[in-house]
Amino acid sequence: MSAVPAVGRRSGARVLTLQRRRYLIAFLFVLPALVNFAIFRYIPIVMAARASLYDYSLLGGFGDFVGLKNYLRAFDDDLFWTSLKVSVEFVLMKVPAQIVFSLLLALFVSRELRGMGFVRTVIFIPVVTSIVAAAVLWGMMYNKDQGLIQSLLGIFGVPHTAFISNPTLALPAIVVMMVWKEVGFSTIIFVAGLKNIPQMFYEAAAIDGAGRVRQFFAITLPLLRPVTLFVVVTQTISAFQVFVPVYVMTQGGPAFATNALVYYIYQNGFQYNDMGFATAMSFVGLVILVLMSIGQFRLLRGDVEY
Amino acid sequence: MSTSPRLSRAVEPVLRYFLYAFLSVVFLLPFVWMVLGSVREESEIHGLMFPFTLHTIWPVNWTLKSYLDIYGISAEGQAGGLMFQVGLRNSAIIAVAVVSCSLVFNTMAAYFFARLPFPGKKYLFAYVVATFLLPFEVTVVPLYLVVNQLDLQNTLWALIVPFYSSPFIVFMLTQFLGGIPKELDEAATVDGANYWQILWRVIFPNALPALTTAALIEFQFIWNLFYWPLIAVSKLDLQVIQVMIASQTTDRQIYWGRTFAGLVSAVVPVVVLFLFCQRFYFRGAVLSGMK
Repeated sequence: MSAVPAVGRRSGARVLTLQRRRYLIAFLFVLPALVNFAIFRYIPIVMAARASLYDYSLLGGFGDFVGLKNYLRAFDDDLFWTSLKVSVEFVLMKVPAQIVFSLLLALFVSRELRGMGFVRTVIFIPVVTSIVAAAVLWGMMYNKDQGLIQSLLGIFGVPHTAFISNPTLALPAIVVMMVWKEVGFSTIIFVAGLKNIPQMFYEAAAIDGAGRVRQFFAITLPLLRPVTLFVVVTQTISAFQVFVPVYVMTQGGPAFATNALVYYIYQNGFQYNDMGFATAMSFVGLVILVLMSIGQFRLLRGDVEY
Repeated sequence: MSTSPRLSRAVEPVLRYFLYAFLSVVFLLPFVWMVLGSVREESEIHGLMFPFTLHTIWPVNWTLKSYLDIYGISAEGQAGGLMFQVGLRNSAIIAVAVVSCSLVFNTMAAYFFARLPFPGKKYLFAYVVATFLLPFEVTVVPLYLVVNQLDLQNTLWALIVPFYSSPFIVFMLTQFLGGIPKELDEAATVDGANYWQILWRVIFPNALPALTTAALIEFQFIWNLFYWPLIAVSKLDLQVIQVMIASQTTDRQIYWGRTFAGLVSAVVPVVVLFLFCQRFYFRGAVLSGMK
């Protein structure tokens, strides 16, 4: 890269054009990707910021300038606050449950024993399955009158229980389904993390007389910190945006118990045609998530040990 | 280990196989119920549900009726306006288009970032990586505004064009291409090859494992996509399979056999690919964990 300018000034003009030409050709390789990210990643944010300040409709485009009215409306809207609360509750239930289960599963399946490959395959099948398919299937399993779960619980004498039509159980029921679907993914990441821990640490600890439990808390857990943080960050961001299971299984109900933020945005934008309001709320959600990821990336960066 | 080694050695395999069985039931039973439910009579699914016996899951009379219905082959299916074959076709068109575009444009961009000279390249890379901060679901409404302005809504283009390049895949491939020995490019340059020829004749064959991983990740992403096609396309004959299975259950929940058959149709392509190319999927998961 730096070899060309060293040629000197005499043939400077020619070299410069030659080099410019090379830069130009190089740039053509990346141009399609850059254009895509501009149009479909960055410009939507700019448009949303603008649309949220107008009376925006899909057919009429930009109407009257209304300033912060859409934002004030959101902050004044009880259901908007409910939706934020539901999304946060979902994160607080799902992320810790998934971390604990995937860590336990990883400790189990990372051992190279006969049959472990099969288990890894089995727990990963829900991961490749679409969320819609998983949600439809679990919606049927939870069904109060005909669900498979009711039939299985019947073996233990448990009477029919309303899960997704019960305000207290609906959100936990979605959490269970989503943990089932995604636990395999974080498990595989933890398995990779576990394999990166040098074996000699365990050997040294064993010589010092530390048992397995002690080894786990003194070696495994601290050394898995970066991987764990990464999983927490990515899972928090995706869980906060939960939409599909709500759309498929509960439509935000019962009694708004599962009225998550993205679902509420969808309803306002596409069912009530209230695009200005929907973009204002999208923007609030976006700001929350960007701040959250910046904060968490900071946390991650100061964290490479070994 | 610290207690009694001999006892734990005897108990361990038993415990382990018990855990294998337990995990298999938890993760596979829903799928088994779905597959077997799609090949039995509708009345059986409901009639044999309680109390739980083998036949709650295992069919008594096997039939492909549900599939004939959802693919509009049987008279009842046609009367119900069911046409899952159209959903499968749309999903397949989109998947092939997006995966091919992605292989071309993402590989080119990654080649640029990993190998080509350009002033201020790191700022351009930051521009790519910064998109990781933009969450997808929350920005779907804004994306719709742009696609609406481009007048692409309600066309298959709306499901293809936004995804012809992916920041995550560019990032992943850049890491990988950086690891291919530079001597290969230099030798090709001496032989008079230009950037374009080097990319496709030298880099591409050497990057096949990474490109396979990228293609599989992209296929799974686009095949399983739901929220975006749900709002970007409202015409029935442009619907993708994932949207069809959802509208089936919310509208006509009474036919569980049909729903099962629809689910099987939507799930089988990705699961079969996964079963045959597992190591690429695990590598993909780990790579995404490294970003």
